[in-house]
Amino acid sequence: MIDSLCDQAKKENIAVAGLYCDFLSQQEQTITNILGAILKQLAGRGSIPDYVREAFQEGKAEFGGRGLRLANLMRMLRIAIDSIPQVFICIDALDECLPKCLPELLESLRDIVRESLSTRIFFTGRPHVGDDVRRYFTSVVVIPISPNIDDIRNYLEMRLNRDSEPEAMSNDLRADIVRVILEKISDMCVGLFGISILSMMHTYQQLCADSSLFRSTWTLF
Amino acid sequence: MRWLSPLEPNNRHQSVRNDRFDGVGDWFLETREFREWRGSEGGSDKAVLFGSGNPGVGKTYLR
Repeated sequence: MIDSLCDQAKKENIAVAGLYCDFLSQQEQTITNILGAILKQLAGRGSIPDYVREAFQEGKAEFGGRGLRLANLMRMLRIAIDSIPQVFICIDALDECLPKCLPELLESLRDIVRESLSTRIFFTGRPHVGDDVRRYFTSVVVIPISPNIDDIRNYLEMRLNRDSEPEAMSNDLRADIVRVILEKISDMCVGLFGISILSMMHTYQQLCADSSLFRSTWTLF
Repeated sequence: MRWLSPLEPNNRHQSVRNDRFDGVGDWFLETREFREWRGSEGGSDKAVLFGSGNPGVGKTYLR
């Protein structure tokens, strides 16, 4: 997503900022750090802008040093966004954002979108976080993302082409691998499970590590 | 600029980009919703797009 927007950005005068929320680094992902990371990407494209330099000097003078407050950050973000014709902000895995931080993040982004009509925001997340998004952005457009069988088939073909032991592979085995994996995935997709392509690929990788082992175990997969 | 935030989303972005397989998720870029969101002018009506899906369906790896 970020890359396709960036390809467009090279042609047009737009800027793209992205962030990946992550359970593993929730403590670090405070509201100020998240918005700061977005500002860093929008403002840090050339030399450090004066308004950032000034805020830094002011922050240093305050008691306790580097206290960067939300209001200051929002002020700087507004300046950065106003200086760019169009800004895209992409935030991945919104559901992994710290729960206490999420409302504040959505509220801050809503304020930005209200003030800067050209700004576009793209979130991804598990379906349940859609309720939170809707609370702040009533006209949000939702696109359900599900595994695409063609994508998986292409990926499998690529992995099979790069198999580290091609001599252990036969056309039959190859066809079996593709058929079985796609069948299993179709079954899983109609079930209630969220399927993990990555964990499936991991299983596949393990199985293919020894193609002869694969012959005896593939029915279990 | 590190003073603004210790987070370095670019690192994660590089690893996602390296692991991504060309063409995966391109269907998303072709959807009417995405095109309208990217190309819409003015107004905050279509400002926000939400890609909703369960863990592992490939949300992060949309190009």
